[in-house]
Amino acid sequence: MTHTAQPGTTTAGPRHAARPDPGEARAAGPGDEALNDPTSAPASAEPSQRERADGRLPAPPGLPGAREAPVAPAELWPGPLDEDLRPPRWIGWRLRLLVLAVLGGCFGLYFLALGVSREPHVDARWRPTPDGQVQLSASSHPALQPHVGHTLEWLGGGQVFTWPADPVALRGSSRWIADDDARARHAQALAWRDQALREDGGLPAAVELGFEQSYPVHVELAPGRITALPGLFWLLAALALALFLGSAVVLLSGPGWLSLAYAAAALAQCGNLVFMAIDVATGIRTANGWVRWDWPARAAFDLITAAALVQVAAMHPRRLAGGPAWAVGAWVLALGLAGWNAQAVRPHAWWLVQGATIVLGGVALLLVSWSNRRQPHPYALVLRRFGAVAWVTWVMLTAAVAATGARPDLQFNLATVGAMVWYAFLGSLLLLVPFLSRSQQLLREFSLLAATSTAATLLDLLFVAVFSLGQFTSLTLALFAALGAYLWGRQWLLSHLRSSQRLTMEALFERLYRIARELETRPQRSGQLLTRLLRELFEPLEIWTLRQGVDAARPVAGGSALVVPLPQLTGQDEAQQPPAVLLRHAGKGQRLFTMEDARLTDRILDQLRRAVAFDRAVEQGRSEERLRIAQDLHDDIGARLLTLMYQAPDRQMEDYIRYTLQDLKTLTRGLAAQSHRFTDAAAEWKADLAHRLAAARCELVWTLHHDDDPELGMVAWSALTRVLRELVSNAIAHAQAKHVRVDIRLHQGRLELTVSDDGRGGDPQAWTHGLGLGGVRKRVKQLGGTVEWRPQTPRGVICRVVVPRLTGAEPGGEPQGSATRRA
Amino acid sequence: MTPCPGRSARGEVDNDRSHPAARRKGPAPCPLAALPVHAVANAETEMGVKVLIVEDNPVARGFLSRVVRDSFSDISSITEAGDLDGARRLLGHRSGQRAQAGGAQDDGYKLILVDLELPDGSGLELLSELAHYPATRIVTTLYSDDEHLFPALQRGADGYLLKEDRFEVLVEELQKIVRGQPPLSPAIARRLLSHFRNGHSDGSGPVSGFGPSDFGTSRPAPLDTRRDAAPDHERLTPRESEVLTYLSKGFTIKEIANLMGIKWFTVNDHIKSIYKKLNVSSRAEAAVLASKQGLV
Repeated sequence: MTHTAQPGTTTAGPRHAARPDPGEARAAGPGDEALNDPTSAPASAEPSQRERADGRLPAPPGLPGAREAPVAPAELWPGPLDEDLRPPRWIGWRLRLLVLAVLGGCFGLYFLALGVSREPHVDARWRPTPDGQVQLSASSHPALQPHVGHTLEWLGGGQVFTWPADPVALRGSSRWIADDDARARHAQALAWRDQALREDGGLPAAVELGFEQSYPVHVELAPGRITALPGLFWLLAALALALFLGSAVVLLSGPGWLSLAYAAAALAQCGNLVFMAIDVATGIRTANGWVRWDWPARAAFDLITAAALVQVAAMHPRRLAGGPAWAVGAWVLALGLAGWNAQAVRPHAWWLVQGATIVLGGVALLLVSWSNRRQPHPYALVLRRFGAVAWVTWVMLTAAVAATGARPDLQFNLATVGAMVWYAFLGSLLLLVPFLSRSQQLLREFSLLAATSTAATLLDLLFVAVFSLGQFTSLTLALFAALGAYLWGRQWLLSHLRSSQRLTMEALFERLYRIARELETRPQRSGQLLTRLLRELFEPLEIWTLRQGVDAARPVAGGSALVVPLPQLTGQDEAQQPPAVLLRHAGKGQRLFTMEDARLTDRILDQLRRAVAFDRAVEQGRSEERLRIAQDLHDDIGARLLTLMYQAPDRQMEDYIRYTLQDLKTLTRGLAAQSHRFTDAAAEWKADLAHRLAAARCELVWTLHHDDDPELGMVAWSALTRVLRELVSNAIAHAQAKHVRVDIRLHQGRLELTVSDDGRGGDPQAWTHGLGLGGVRKRVKQLGGTVEWRPQTPRGVICRVVVPRLTGAEPGGEPQGSATRRA
Repeated sequence: MTPCPGRSARGEVDNDRSHPAARRKGPAPCPLAALPVHAVANAETEMGVKVLIVEDNPVARGFLSRVVRDSFSDISSITEAGDLDGARRLLGHRSGQRAQAGGAQDDGYKLILVDLELPDGSGLELLSELAHYPATRIVTTLYSDDEHLFPALQRGADGYLLKEDRFEVLVEELQKIVRGQPPLSPAIARRLLSHFRNGHSDGSGPVSGFGPSDFGTSRPAPLDTRRDAAPDHERLTPRESEVLTYLSKGFTIKEIANLMGIKWFTVNDHIKSIYKKLNVSSRAEAAVLASKQGLV
């Protein structure tokens, strides 16, 4: 046997294991530039550097050694997350105080309802007419029902003094009276009405109502019952109670300046809502002195809310450098104005209050924007978004009230309905903002609806006032405009909030199953694959690993981060895979994590677990089946063939059976095994051929060149094995060659195999053996290649097999996530 | 055509040449007892050597008998057993026990051929039980993949014969094994490399076949669960590693000798040494495994 093999070419081929795998490297690193960029997250990057120096953290992706430990999908979360991971504990004094607050709130609501319902009132609804008169719009009282639609001229109690009906007095509150004169008239009218209804310091038993062109109507005043209060009262009161409790929860769970500011805003709005509830529950009623405080109190509430929001914006989500100064300034302005307003009836007070609230709101928005620009945070974005909606509608409301000064009927609607909707909207916003990660979806829909209805009301009134359209026309127009705005806004918000980069459901499913497939071949990469999926799903700015595990995915830190448990999908590398990862700043810092995100993550992980288990079960079943078939074939047929071979009458028959037996062995081995490395297979081919040629006293000249070492699938392995064996068998048996030269070249996936001999040559078609040349053709065709035989000079035959893409269609090829990701 | 070392002439015991196997031209038979393996053990060469063949297929048994007779000149008797129980009866031990050499020195078998697939179990069991039996143990099998052969080598087999090979090839291979030139296929060389490299935590080698031990599970059961570092005598020398690496790439012994610039019998010495180290490192494990796994 001549030594002609070239060790250089055989061993110099690049080993597959040493080849850098781009997908692996990609997944091994944290991936996002933000993590590697220390300027983007200085606060969180520094401790990790320190810990890395201690040796407690895996090396960063850029350093050598990171690829050896590819199971860590990201760096370990350095900070103490325990308090973030744990829900706040309601123990001790906090719980007791909260219970007290709940009880106090409920009792307060009860006594408020009781007090309001005791107030005697006439069961009638009034509306102002465009020409400044009061009209009866509805009543369930039998004596009043004939007068529905009539104009009320005067109202009298037991005393002779009567009160000329003035539409401005229909409003219980003077909060939304822009004009100083109107405010004075309102106060005067209320005072007169009070006098008219008062009888010797007590309440009259009955009132008389004077309608135009009619006799006075005598109506008895009966104290109402608590069950007779209108539904709107309960709604507003419930919202006020919820706000009160929400502020209590926030304040107690984390006392501090921030929660104090929030509580101040929430409690101020709670007060506003209580005033409105009282206003709704009582119609024409006595002015029990609180009317004097209605305007200053409600102005103060709005100012306090605006100042508190400025403070919140200055402190959350980041403490701004000049934050305290801004907050103090806002509070000084708000409290000073409120105090100044409370002392006496001041000229242009309404304008000043509205102006101050608008300015403070604008300052708060600017501060949030500034904070977000300096350091993006999804919370700041969400705050700005909702704050802007509230601020714009507030400005619109102010403008509308100011514009409709000449139309008492319009202003009445605006001041009652429009303002009420706006306050309810703001109250709900305030209520939901601390629990943003749980309520974002709800909040989004709600804010859209509330903003739209506010806008619709305002538009309706504006149409009537400015374009002098009819009530119906303007209402229709406003409704259409509002509906359009709502639909457009919803679409815009949805497309904007879910960034366009997010996976669609189809892509998600595809990704899930791709991961399941990939896990089958590389179970050790489950951590990386899961992290990659999460990154594609939520596009977080940062991904950290956690030391402790969690039961289920859940948003932490107010929704700016999401903790996701990494399931043990393959059951192989329990020790190496981190138990959980922490995603921070979803949607490249544009979104907050919500409870829906957490549930979605849980469902996805669950689906993935199932898919992997299913795949594994299927694969196990298939491989067991294949093994059983292979075993049976090998043991039974193989043993019989062997017996037959030993008893073969002549050499030719014996060889025939031997080749059949060898084919059977190749077949069964192909059934049982998964794949072969190219070089391993080549080594076995060489050893096998050398063994056989040596037995036939024939020399083998073997050369192998390859630039890659791919995995040969079973089809390719089995086909090439049999082709080689067949060609060499032919050379020995028929050509009776003394030298056989085998030359294998694998270059860029193209396999070129030549087998040449110095035998008798002749017509290759004449060779018949085993599967014969037909078999060789068939197998080469199976691989998508070509085969040709040529006579050689001076003697012998050369056979050339070319397979253009040896590994192209093989299963188990490299699924590259990055290539398909853009698709 | 390799002449027997020690004796150049035909051996004394050359009966039964009229057997049909005689028509096949094989290498000249040489005396088994004089071969290096048994040079110390056997003083009474003239007595002839006892051979045991454990094989269930009678045709194959006869064929192997002829191979043995053709290979060696000093065969006194060939005993055949059809299953494990028969072999145990002949060797005088029970299942799970260690087989010991008989009382008299000449009483024992000097060459044992064991089929891997037997009706009442695997030949691997018998190999484990024969761990301390002073005989050349050779596995005869139809399975040529490392999944089957490596466990056999681990359990102390001195070599393996592929039953489908030609008569003369078998004779040659058998003589080589007895002479101390055991075969080493690339797949087995790979297994050996990973076995010694990974501190004997083998079992994660390339799945290139099916074996009786992994039937029913999707991945091969690890044969060796010991993970502590191997003692020095179980580590390969750099030369041995080099030889194994070349073998795993499909080079023949002569090619390796050329590549390494040494004589071919030096390469062979390395291979023998590797076998020995595998046996030393595996003998204890094999015993443990045999008792632990029972039927493999």
